[in-house]
This record gives sequence, structure tokens and C-alpha cells, in this order.
Amino acid sequence: MRRLSRVRALVAVAFAQLRHERLQTATAVLGVAMAVLAAVLLAGVGIGVVEFGQQKFQQSGQDLWMTGGPTELRPGTVGGFQNSVVDSHDLAASVTERDPVAAAVPLLFQTVYAGRNASEFRTVVGAGSPGGGELVSISEGRGFRGGDVHYAGGSYDGPMTREVIIDRRTADLLDVGVNDTIHLGGTVATARENEFTVIGISPTFSRFVGAPTVVVRQSELQEVTGTTASDRASFVLVRATRGADVSALESDLTETYPQYTVRTNGEQFRATLRDQAVVLLSGASLLVLAVVAGVLLVLNMQLSFVFRHRETLAAVAAMGVSRSSLAAIVLVYALFVGLLGGLLGVGLALPGIELVNAVTVRVTGFENVATLSRRVLLGGFGLAVLVSAVGGLAASAYLARSNPLDTLR
Amino acid sequence: MDGERAVSTEPSESTAVVRGRDLVRRYEWGAAGLFGDDAPPAVRAVDGVSIAIRGGEMVGIAGPSGSGKSTLLHLLAGLDLPTAGTVTLAGTDTADYGERGRARLRLEHVGVVFQRFHLLPALSARANVALPLVELGEPKSRRRERATELLEAVGLGDRVTHRPGRLSGGEQQRVAIARSLATEPDLIVADEPTGELDSETGERVLSALGDVADDRAVVLASHDEQALAVCDRRVPLRDGKRADDERDADGTGG
Repeated sequence: MRRLSRVRALVAVAFAQLRHERLQTATAVLGVAMAVLAAVLLAGVGIGVVEFGQQKFQQSGQDLWMTGGPTELRPGTVGGFQNSVVDSHDLAASVTERDPVAAAVPLLFQTVYAGRNASEFRTVVGAGSPGGGELVSISEGRGFRGGDVHYAGGSYDGPMTREVIIDRRTADLLDVGVNDTIHLGGTVATARENEFTVIGISPTFSRFVGAPTVVVRQSELQEVTGTTASDRASFVLVRATRGADVSALESDLTETYPQYTVRTNGEQFRATLRDQAVVLLSGASLLVLAVVAGVLLVLNMQLSFVFRHRETLAAVAAMGVSRSSLAAIVLVYALFVGLLGGLLGVGLALPGIELVNAVTVRVTGFENVATLSRRVLLGGFGLAVLVSAVGGLAASAYLARSNPLDTLR
Repeated sequence: MDGERAVSTEPSESTAVVRGRDLVRRYEWGAAGLFGDDAPPAVRAVDGVSIAIRGGEMVGIAGPSGSGKSTLLHLLAGLDLPTAGTVTLAGTDTADYGERGRARLRLEHVGVVFQRFHLLPALSARANVALPLVELGEPKSRRRERATELLEAVGLGDRVTHRPGRLSGGEQQRVAIARSLATEPDLIVADEPTGELDSETGERVLSALGDVADDRAVVLASHDEQALAVCDRRVPLRDGKRADDERDADGTGG
């Protein structure tokens, strides 16, 4: 009973201190809230990106991805992407012949110039699709009908259909719609000479790459970007037949085509994340910095409190009030700051994540990438308590170790 | 205890609330030489002082700055331990206790008044006075009752909810005096209690201290003649030694 009475009284003293030193308290609460906000938003974006990516890979309807290396931007080259699969049509045809394979299609990404007329161009991502089928979902107009006729068994002398499917952002960017014509090419000169008719609007590839995208048949994209010689592609997508053993197929393809890497959706996604190691490390560093800054802020506030009132605290200790009681006041004060900072940080995270998503849509075209789960919010709140407890404990330990006589002498 | 105090002598062994015998407090500054050939410089802040104070007695420790007044006060209050000699407080040797034990001894038996009041600015006068009772685990109702009672006793019954920032220096020192009495100690030590106050306010504070001290032993360190004048007995110090040593060297007095 006496102990409970003492604890309640010490909490009351800490609360009185909190109310009395309003400016210091408000500053510290705001600092902790910012640390929580940064951590929660980073976690929300990180978890959201992972979930979003996994979802997109699952939604691709493919089972395996064959690549010859990372698909990355390569400045100074026509097309700008490093496409590592060569003789992609032959490779896809060869893979398709296997029993458990329903379909294998090459997929090419190239940066292209696109313009409504022959004088003004914007750079967009060009995706080379093999032709019809369910790879591209259409929201307006129609999809490709028929195959990649221009390929003509590798001679590239078949007729060019000159059909293009664009996404909504490209349509807005170029101010065009279905049945309009646009110029496309790997160089401005090539683009001036090549006109394509918009036959449909599709969100599929822009969701995948997060940039304005145009989709044309693969051989026609190779033709206008000058990459027909090696028949390059970024991936060969493999869809297994219903009920097939995907891991057995993966092993079989790995063995048959040792020059290529074969990955499942999950493995391909993890490989994509690994390619972004610098970005991931930057995110992790920011998270650590947010936590360290929070701890230092609370510690600074508590040590400043101890320093400003050192004589009074020493005098109270001299009267016989135990140093553990004084340390408890400092700790409880810090925890109050942590609780308030945690509540504020979590409260700010809700509109904050909306803001992040709004910016993400404008920059990348991806919608609702960042998500805030209850676990992330609770984690943020827990972080605030942890940060304040560490800061408060360090200041308490300093106070508990100091001798009141050293101050009073 | 009232303003007119009779001249008294040091109490006998049995009646003393606090007794210091042959007290030495030496401070060493820095470290010995690398080869141990030089002893570190040492200062004897208190040098062979014996003193005893009985209940109901107010003793003034007089002397110029640096004479060892505060150090002697700290030794008698159990705040510090002597390098040599013994302090007997509430029937026990303070050296028998560790840091925590001495804190508890002070809490239960010693009230302390400082020159600079040292009140917590966030707390009301009543909460400041009640603070030592928190450590004893007294219930809130008891703490409030006791603190209000003490504030009324020092003439601050109408200031119980005021924070220190809204009180004058004299009022703050009276709150500090009330706080020193909260745990009903046997001994009150006051280090320059009027040092921050003008003479008129100082007089009122000393009067309040005398009024509420009752049968407690009070030791007051000061170089203020006005403060020393209200004491029953004066112990002059010079260079850490009792300047009246030949009269009462063994502290048993007479």
C-alpha cells in the first residue's frame, strides 16, 4: 500500500514537471513524434512495396522467369535497358515445346521516343509483347489480334501491324486516345519515320514498371529500336500447365539452359529487391537514424532537466529522498514524453501515408503502394516508448550515480 | 524555543541528539606522484572538532568563509562521513551505514534547510513540503494534512497552492523550513538560511524556525551575526578547528 502510494506520488510529480516545462516537453514530444512518423512511414512504404510487388508478380499469371542477368537501366545505349536474353523467340519456342509448359513468351523493355507528331517527343517505356493472349488486360479499345507476324521466323520481313496499346498516363502525356496515331522509335530520327495506331488503353505494363508505357509487338519494337540482330528480350515468361510441378520444371529448365537464371515469382521478386540493395540500405539507415535521433533527443531533454535542477535534486536527495525515487521521476517524465510522442507520431502517420501514396502515384503511377497495418502502428508506438525509456533510463542512471554532496559543496 | 535563549553549554553523552567526536574531514585533490613520492595535496576542512547538541537547543556554527562550517554541518547531518572521528546521530554511528542507510537515517531524523531554498518549481508549496513524506510512503491524505499544518505553522496557510515562482524569497525559505519538519526529525541543520534574504525577512524566517523547532536540536551555520544572535550557543570555527577549543575540547562539555 505504501509502495503504491509512493509510486502514485512520483508519477504525479513527473506529470507536474511535464506541465510546468511546457516548451521543453512540447519540443521533445514533437521530436519523438517525428522519429515515430519517419519510422512508421518507412516501414509502411517498405512493407507496402514488398506486398505490392509480390501481389504484382502473382497477378502476372506466370510461373517462371528466365533471365540472363538483372534488367537495369544502361545509360548510353539505344533503348537504355540491358536486355540479357538473346534469340528470345527461339528460346521461347524451345521452352514451349516442353510438356509441362502451357506457354513461354519473350518480354522486352526498351526506352523509346513517343510523340503525337513528328516534332515533339517524350521518352516512355516500350514493352515488346509477343502478340495476342491474356498478357495484356484492356480497359478501353481492344488488344492485339494474331501473332507477331513481322518476326516471320527470324527474317523480320513480315508485315508491320503498326498497332500500339498505351496506358492512361501516356494517353494524357501525348494527349491521344484510341484510333489516334503516334510516332515511336529508339531514336528521334527513327520515331519520325514510324507511325503506330493506338488500338487500346491498358494499365498492365505501366503497373509493372511504374512509368508511362507503350506496348507493341516484340519484333516491331525490336525493328524500331534497331535490336533485331540478336533478338534480345528482358525475360522469357513461362506459364506451366495446370497441375504441373513448377519446381521440377524450374530444375529442368535450369539444367537445360545453364546460361539463363530461372526463377519462380517469389525468387524473381527477391532478386529484384536485391538489385535495389542501396535503396533498401538507405531505408534501413534512415530508420536507424530516426531511432537514434529520438533516443538522443529524449536523453538530451532529460539530462538538461537534471542539469538545470541539479542543485534542487541534490538538496532533495540530501534530505533523504532516495536517488532511486528521483531517477524514477526522470524516467516517468521521459515515458510520458514517449507516450505523447508515440500518440502524436501514429496520429500523424495516418494522413502522412496518404500523402506518401499521393506523391507515389504522381511520380511512379503506382496506387496505394504504402500501407499502414495495425502491426506497423503498434510498432511505431512501441518505438516511442522504447526511445523514451532508453533516454530516460540513461538520464536516470546518471542521476542515480551522482553524489548530492558534489553539487551542494 | 523562543527568541530569548539562555546561554547553554554542551550537553552530556545521554542527552545529545547528535554528537561529533574528534571529527576530521580531509579532502585530497588530484593524485599522488607517479612513483608515490609526492602525497596528493590535502585540505583539512574540519580538523579535530568535537561537538554535541541536545534537543530543544539551537546552536550556531560561526566562522568566516572556508572555516569548515558547511563541512561540519554535512558531517553532523550524515550527508558526509568523517575521515577520522565519529558522528553519533539518533544513537547510532553514521559510519555504520552505507549510502542508502544514511539517506534513510536523514529522512527519518534530520531536516535540512539550504541557503537557496531548493524547492521544485513545478510543485506547489504544499507538494514541496510533502515531498519527503512521499519517500516514507505516507498516503496522500496524510501528506496533504501534514504539509498544510506545517505551512500554517510558518504563516503560509494562504499560500499552500502557490508554486515557488509566485512566492517571495522569505516565503520560499519558510516553505523550505516547513519541508525540513515534514518527517518530524530530531535534528534540523540549516546552512546559511538567511544568506539570500534581506535582514528584515531573515529575522522573520529565523523567528519562524525558532517557533516551529520545538524540542528539536537545531544547528545553524552562518557568518551572519543577526542569525547567530538568536542561537542558544555559538561554536566558532577557524581553519577547520574550534576557536574555543580550550573550553570544550572533548565535546562532552559540561
